[in-house]
Amino acid sequence: MIVDVNAYLGHFAFRRLRYNTAASLLALMDSKRIDKAAVSSAGAITYHNAQAGNEEVAQEVRGRSDRLIPYAVINPFYAGWQDDLKICHEEFGMAGLRLYPKWHNYQLSSPCCRELVDAATERGMVISIPIRVEDNRQRSWLLNVPDVPLEEIVELVKAHPKARFILLNGIGYTGCPLGRKDNGLPSNYAVELSRLSAVLANELGQLITNLGPERVMFGTGMPFNYPDPALVKLEVLDASETDKEKIRSQNAMIWLRL
Amino acid sequence: MTIPQTTSCPPASQPRVSRRAILKGSGVLALGAMAMQLAHGTAIEQSEAGTSNGLPHKGRVIDCHAHLTHRSRATWEADDRKLIEAADKLGIDQLCCSTLTPHRPATADGFRECNWWTDDGMRRFPGRVLGYCYVNPGYGREALEEIRRCVEDHGFIGIKLYNEYTCTEPVVFPIVELAIELGVPILQHASHSHYFVEDQPRMSDGGHLAELARRYPEAMLICAHISGGGDWEWTIKALRHTSNVLLDTSGSVTDEDTVEMAAAVVGVDRVVFGCDSSMTAGVGKIRGANLSAQDKQKILSGNMMRLLQRRKS
Repeated sequence: MIVDVNAYLGHFAFRRLRYNTAASLLALMDSKRIDKAAVSSAGAITYHNAQAGNEEVAQEVRGRSDRLIPYAVINPFYAGWQDDLKICHEEFGMAGLRLYPKWHNYQLSSPCCRELVDAATERGMVISIPIRVEDNRQRSWLLNVPDVPLEEIVELVKAHPKARFILLNGIGYTGCPLGRKDNGLPSNYAVELSRLSAVLANELGQLITNLGPERVMFGTGMPFNYPDPALVKLEVLDASETDKEKIRSQNAMIWLRL
Repeated sequence: MTIPQTTSCPPASQPRVSRRAILKGSGVLALGAMAMQLAHGTAIEQSEAGTSNGLPHKGRVIDCHAHLTHRSRATWEADDRKLIEAADKLGIDQLCCSTLTPHRPATADGFRECNWWTDDGMRRFPGRVLGYCYVNPGYGREALEEIRRCVEDHGFIGIKLYNEYTCTEPVVFPIVELAIELGVPILQHASHSHYFVEDQPRMSDGGHLAELARRYPEAMLICAHISGGGDWEWTIKALRHTSNVLLDTSGSVTDEDTVEMAAAVVGVDRVVFGCDSSMTAGVGKIRGANLSAQDKQKILSGNMMRLLQRRKS
């Protein structure tokens, strides 16, 4: 079984996405033998009102929630986020969140964000944070959204030891405490592999060694990305089949409570 | 001059992606994938049968954009070995490599040293490493002599230009004219962002390459790393009408539809596979592209082979 913790539905403001409906994404998943995927709204990254994107996702996954696991995008600085969180969790069955602090222009350390993390944790929801959405070199002339600095993630995981975080689309963890062995941080976060190197520098292998195979998860970033590079990483990864199975699906099944 | 055949890969004690795997799954529909696997099976059989002209086999995988490590880095030897091991794992037969200096702009001694190391790499990994001669066009006669020495005497397959000059500056023209005389391609570092890249003020982009290609229609130009060179849609569109510029798929960005759009807009005969050290990204993009096996094989090696066959000495 393969579980993708990093997938999306809907439109992105700056580039056409294909395979961005539930039906077409499932067809893509079938062709790649990906069984389940955690999906959130690509539109909500730039919508003022992210909840509109959550509603679109909820509509799309209806009747398909055995394979498409809906995640909510919540902006803790937008009016009514507490209501949105409640609706996403209780009515839409969304088991986790995706946060975009740079796109939504807030600090992870801000009281509102801390309140959101606590509220989501109270509900048992996983909080995933895409470190980036797109490569900054190809950004639109309209904006300049930086990656989320890993140092800010360090402070977040320290401040919320009971929360559970999945870090998406990241790289360079081994260059900061997040990816180091015995780093003194709570083991409340896992990293997704879509941008990690599996050969040459092999950051993926280093993270498995440093954090343990239980804290690395498979993800693709589809349909922003081709799913195949992530699949190739798993194929060439120099790890036991037991560890690969954890990364491929078991860790996600536990964290996402599937 | 012949392009060396690859040596055998080491025993597959580690996980490895086969050429068949690179080509598989290229369509969403299972039937499409099956048809492609069957088609590629033929290509593999052909590659194993070999060819008589010394050129890479049909069915090979050639990375058109790779680098050996500058020897100011203490781990250069191990790093170079890792590159070959990664190629082994990923089913890449040959890597077209340059060595770049971290001390830029490169001096004449600086680029000569790099080329000596590339030449050494071609000897250390015979048949696996093909060499690009890297020069700074600003060194005029010395740059031209270095290209002639590398290509004519040491079997380098092409020229690598970095960002010392924009490729439309007149100082670059003698390099292009020599490349035409020798019949070798130029791999031009390129990127197009919608902002000024301060640390690379003389960066070339697809538009510059199109202009250069119109000035020199006989030149064989490769626009480097469309998947790591800023707005790839802009780059592809800028190069639509210049038939003598090929697009290199390398780079760390794995945006879905990149390869398909390149093939659709400029034609699949003008797209070449590369990694530029982003190895799984490079292989995964081609594997994931919704193209036929025949088209993928053109990208993986056929188009590059066609380019290399135009060498005049």
